[in-house]
Amino acid sequence: MIELCGVGKVFPGGQGGFTALDNVELRLPAGEFIAIVGKSGSGKSTLINLIAGIDRPSRGEIRVAGTPVDALDESALALWRGRTVGVVFQFFQLLPTLSVVENVMLPMDFCGTLRPRAARARALELLGQVGIADQADKLPSSLSGGQQQRAAVARALANDPALIVADEPTGNLDTHTAMAVLNLLTDLTAIGKTVVMVTHERDLTSFADRIVTLADGKVVGESAPRASVRNARETADA
Amino acid sequence: MVNAIVGTRWLKLFRDLEAEWGRVLLMVAAIAVSIVAVGAILGAHAVLTRAITANYLDTHPAAATLDLEGDAGAAALVLARQHPAVADAEARDVILARAQVGADWRPLLLFVCDDFVAMRLNTIERLDGAWPPATGDMLIDVTATAMLGTEIGRRLRIKTAQGMAHEVPVTGRVNDHGLVPAWQERIGYGYISRETLASLGEPPVLHELRIALRDPSADAAAVAAVANDVGRQLAAHGIVVHEIRVPPPRQHPHYKQMTTMLYLMLTFSVMALVLSSLLVANSLSAMLARQAREIGVMKTVGARTGQIIRLYATLVAVLGAVAVVVAIPAGLMGARALTNAVAGLLNLNVADNWVPLRVFAVQGCCGVLVPLCVALVPILRASRTSVRATLDQHGIGSEGLRLRTGHFPLAVRNALRRPGRLALTVALLSAGGAMFMTALNVAESWDRNIAKIYETRHYDVEVRFYQPQSVDLARSLRELPGIAVVETWGYSPVAVAKQGQIDVVRAYPDRGHASVVIMAPPTAMRLVSFPVLAGRWLRDDDTDAVVLNHAMAAQMPEIRVGDTIDLSIAGRRAAWRVVGLVEEIGSVGAAYVAADTFERIAGTGGQVRMLRIATLADSPQARVDAIRAIERRLDEDRVSVETVLPLTELSMAMTDHIMILIRLLIAMAVILAAVGTLGLTSALGIDVLERMREFAVMKTIGATPRRIVVLVLAESLFIGMLSWLAAFVFALPLTLLLDTLVGNLGFVAALPFVISPGPALMWLVLIAAGSILASGIPARRASQLSVAQALVQL
Ligand SMILES: Nc1ncnc2c1ncn2[C@@H]1O[C@H](COP(=O)(O)OP(=O)(O)OP(=O)(O)O)[C@@H](O)[C@H]1O
Ligand SMILES: [Mg+2]
Repeated sequence: MIELCGVGKVFPGGQGGFTALDNVELRLPAGEFIAIVGKSGSGKSTLINLIAGIDRPSRGEIRVAGTPVDALDESALALWRGRTVGVVFQFFQLLPTLSVVENVMLPMDFCGTLRPRAARARALELLGQVGIADQADKLPSSLSGGQQQRAAVARALANDPALIVADEPTGNLDTHTAMAVLNLLTDLTAIGKTVVMVTHERDLTSFADRIVTLADGKVVGESAPRASVRNARETADA
Repeated sequence: MVNAIVGTRWLKLFRDLEAEWGRVLLMVAAIAVSIVAVGAILGAHAVLTRAITANYLDTHPAAATLDLEGDAGAAALVLARQHPAVADAEARDVILARAQVGADWRPLLLFVCDDFVAMRLNTIERLDGAWPPATGDMLIDVTATAMLGTEIGRRLRIKTAQGMAHEVPVTGRVNDHGLVPAWQERIGYGYISRETLASLGEPPVLHELRIALRDPSADAAAVAAVANDVGRQLAAHGIVVHEIRVPPPRQHPHYKQMTTMLYLMLTFSVMALVLSSLLVANSLSAMLARQAREIGVMKTVGARTGQIIRLYATLVAVLGAVAVVVAIPAGLMGARALTNAVAGLLNLNVADNWVPLRVFAVQGCCGVLVPLCVALVPILRASRTSVRATLDQHGIGSEGLRLRTGHFPLAVRNALRRPGRLALTVALLSAGGAMFMTALNVAESWDRNIAKIYETRHYDVEVRFYQPQSVDLARSLRELPGIAVVETWGYSPVAVAKQGQIDVVRAYPDRGHASVVIMAPPTAMRLVSFPVLAGRWLRDDDTDAVVLNHAMAAQMPEIRVGDTIDLSIAGRRAAWRVVGLVEEIGSVGAAYVAADTFERIAGTGGQVRMLRIATLADSPQARVDAIRAIERRLDEDRVSVETVLPLTELSMAMTDHIMILIRLLIAMAVILAAVGTLGLTSALGIDVLERMREFAVMKTIGATPRRIVVLVLAESLFIGMLSWLAAFVFALPLTLLLDTLVGNLGFVAALPFVISPGPALMWLVLIAAGSILASGIPARRASQLSVAQALVQL
């Protein structure tokens, strides 16, 4: 469950600063695939950064699975982020001097979740899940964009976080590869993860459980196109 | 797989180092060089201070010397040894003679004793040849052989007070570790027995009673008290004591000179360490700037600020540790080399080369902690930046401090884009430059001070006699061809007297170090003109007035103009009123009094012990000829001469004493300058690397490679010039400090503060050349880069 109460973000500059987010109220249920859409400059990245604990709000409260994210100090925030949030960036952001498997191991090292030998085993397993186990010992620069983004997804999953946050993860990929990565992310909800993704993809309704639309720093729309489908499926399963 | 053993973040650190091995090597080398210097100097200091003290104490130096009117014979020795505080006593004498070297006569100190084999105080080391010397023979000190142009088996022509020249066979060599090397003092050291002294026509009398105390740690005052006590007991038995000499206890005459020199060098190497740490910090901050995004990513995946700080702090510590490991053996070698050099300079035997462990500990701490402290600044800054800020950062220009630079040329604006890094680079370069200028400035000040010897003394040669001579002698010399002025000066060794006690002077057995004299200039004196520091110079109507030179004043720091002091001339004491202080470069402590009063007290009416003579010479050769003519005339007149001291000898001895220090300073400065230029190269390299994309964009919009080279070059020159300005400013206080330190070492007074244009211009040329050189590689790389390549980078 992600809750935002009266969240605002003002960037310094100009007279009185620039208001990127204004009084955002959101309640996003856990285990869903949430897409955030809106025009360029509408505040999507700002919002997702606040949810991931990468940035702090100027006003308001943010709770993720009961944790008051805005109230944590820097060090507690970092540890919380490492353990409960997996971040996927548009430009992959793999560390260039570490091999693919080592990039995946890095969060486990920083958060002290597993010792190196076990961490390597888990990283290889995750790389298998995203389908690039054979690239494990290569450097990121020798991988294609799609492969790099799969590695980034594997890294986001390293500490088995409940929340995956992705800012335009497909923005730098061709349509075919983008679809593959999207599928990878949607599959995560099946294993109980919450996924929040900023995207410009058009055909969202096929995979997003919920769509949040931003304009000029305000939430202007929230819809749950597949809620009925899912509800129906769950009823059928039962 | 390593990655299954080592924490991934450490792996990352290691890979980063691998990727930038060139710069890493530069950082390690910079730290290592300064740690080598620190180790060499500390090691040498430890070994040398131990050696100098051990060497000196091995000679069993007498704690005090009592100067008797008569012979220090059996009666005196027995009395002295009976004193409860006295451990031992021996009879000695030191005679100032002259030895012929080529066509000239040089001063020769003759050390006389009764029994070389049984010698227990102020012992000498036997090297080769005869031991003990037979009657009529002489041993010479090994440091005097070259200066006297003699060796074992040759004969040396010497003259003593009685005036006749004697050919004395040199039959052996010894080494006297209690004395400053003879070549440095420009005085020969010879050793003869009492019988030999007699064979030279001198009365066979040893005037000195040397005593050692039972308490090995007695201070100067305690020594003087015991010596006075012994003196009173001798007096009670009719043995007259003129004077007591107490050298600084257990301290080699050049101990202070040596330690000051080593501390000075240590200061320089610590500065070098700070510089190299700045170099490390500079390179590191560039590395961190480039890794800002990676730091952001690491923080996003859960790295806490503390972990990031630890990561990079460990990196610096490891670099420091590697440098230390390399530097310790090299520093040890450096210490050996420096020890040998200084030991040669001071004539020390270094028996024990052991460098104490604390030197390595200091090296370790310095090598790891100093770079760490300096590097902590950029590390803290980089690791504390918020995640979003680091992820936002695209290239440079978005960071903190921004200066209004719009109206400056592009190269200047480029240099100012990273004010922090610019400041570091400028600091690095200017520190090197400041020391370079300082070393040369101090050398110039030194020369200026040496020049003062000539500016304040208008005579060419000073002649002293053993016995007062008739003033007619002056007249006869004035008639010689080539002589302009002959002045007759009153002259006598002097002691600062204390009521009810025998006079105590603080002189070493060679009489030169820490001794004082009294001089009486003639009326209408023209041959010296010392700058007055306080009060005034002597007037013709003065009676009890005394003017002290600064070296004398330094020995009595509480004395002011207007005070009264007691001085005793040949045992006759008188009170004097201090009317002035003068600066007299290149002299022992001296007190100047009116001629009439001096003659009355010293009882030398119509007689003279010192002549100062100006020649008409206009060339060095003419001067030498004139001096030889004086020597010949004195020889014909059968006058026994104590010394003939050409002014050139005086300045030469002064220069030899400390020129080595100046050379060391310049060598250090050159090393620092090199480190500075390395720093500039590294900083420019970093700047260019960071702006590759920008250069590529400039190229796509039409900038020619030439224009880019010019841009980088101009930036480099701008930084160079900025550092030159800063160096010039830093050099001012540094020069002042070193002038004071070096001046006190050499002249007992600060050197004149000289900022000469020469060194500043030289550094300007050097820094310009260095800037052009430093920009060479980065500029080439920037201009040759293809657009596609550059845009791919990042
Ligand atoms: N660090 C910052 N300082 C000042 N203003 C900022 C900063 N970051 C974002 N903004 C401003 O806040 C607004 C929202 O930015 P944000 O990056 O959230 O937009 P976005 O919806 O992600 O756009 P895009 O689709 O182009 O990525 C923009 O107008 C932007 O200029
Ligand atoms: Mg965005």
